[in-house]
Amino acid sequence: MSIFSKNQPSAENESNANPSEEVTQEFVAAEQEVVSSASSFESVTRQESTPRSNVLAKPSIISEGFTFEGTITSDGVLNIAGTVRGKITAKSVLIDSSGQVDGELNSEQLVIKGQLKGDVNCEDLNVGPLAQVDGNISYKYIHIQRGGKVAGKFIKN
Amino acid sequence: MAEVNQLGCLFVGEGVVLKGNFEVPDIASISGTVEGELTAKQVLIEATGIVRGKLTGESIDIRGEVNEQVSSSRSLIIRSTGKVTGSIHYSEIEIEKGGHLHGDLHNLNPHS
Repeated sequence: MSIFSKNQPSAENESNANPSEEVTQEFVAAEQEVVSSASSFESVTRQESTPRSNVLAKPSIISEGFTFEGTITSDGVLNIAGTVRGKITAKSVLIDSSGQVDGELNSEQLVIKGQLKGDVNCEDLNVGPLAQVDGNISYKYIHIQRGGKVAGKFIKN
Repeated sequence: MAEVNQLGCLFVGEGVVLKGNFEVPDIASISGTVEGELTAKQVLIEATGIVRGKLTGESIDIRGEVNEQVSSSRSLIIRSTGKVTGSIHYSEIEIEKGGHLHGDLHNLNPHS
């Protein structure tokens, strides 16, 4: 009997253990629900944020035949198909094949398809095959496509 | 191509160090280190290759490292692992993204 009585509590323990497992399983299920609801919340916020980033991504454009002299400052994208003489600061600059820039240029992303004369400070530089670049250029990442004409001092940051 | 016809070619294996001036009529493929002047029709600097000195050729393809001076009369390609410091003279240039370029660039025929 004494052995039986000793076994009894362990049997009780086992029976106790099972419900606790069930409880943890319930917890896991509850957590999964939380995660799924969180991800759906994220997708909602993403949908909300996309139109705002589109507004930022909307480029400022200097059209072909347009000549600008002075300083341009922008937090967004700048497309230059015309001519700019002066200082340009923008997050992203594209100099189109008809574009000409004469002066200082600071930007994170810079794509040159046209002509550029002056000092450049950028992170990501891409020079197209028909581009002509002349000046001192400091960069982080560079890509020059075959045919691009480049001259000047290059400094990698 | 280089493996088939080795006439007039120079191959420098990894770990080999060459010092002096070298005139190569055809292809120079460098996986080791060259210190001095190297002139070849076609130059391939492999990823482990290093040239310290003046490098001259028609077509130059750089996956490794070149210091001091590079002069290419036809095409110069700096691959993504390539690193060039010093003055560069070229007629046609291509730099892959990630390529490292530190120095002066000069176009041999700027008005063509």
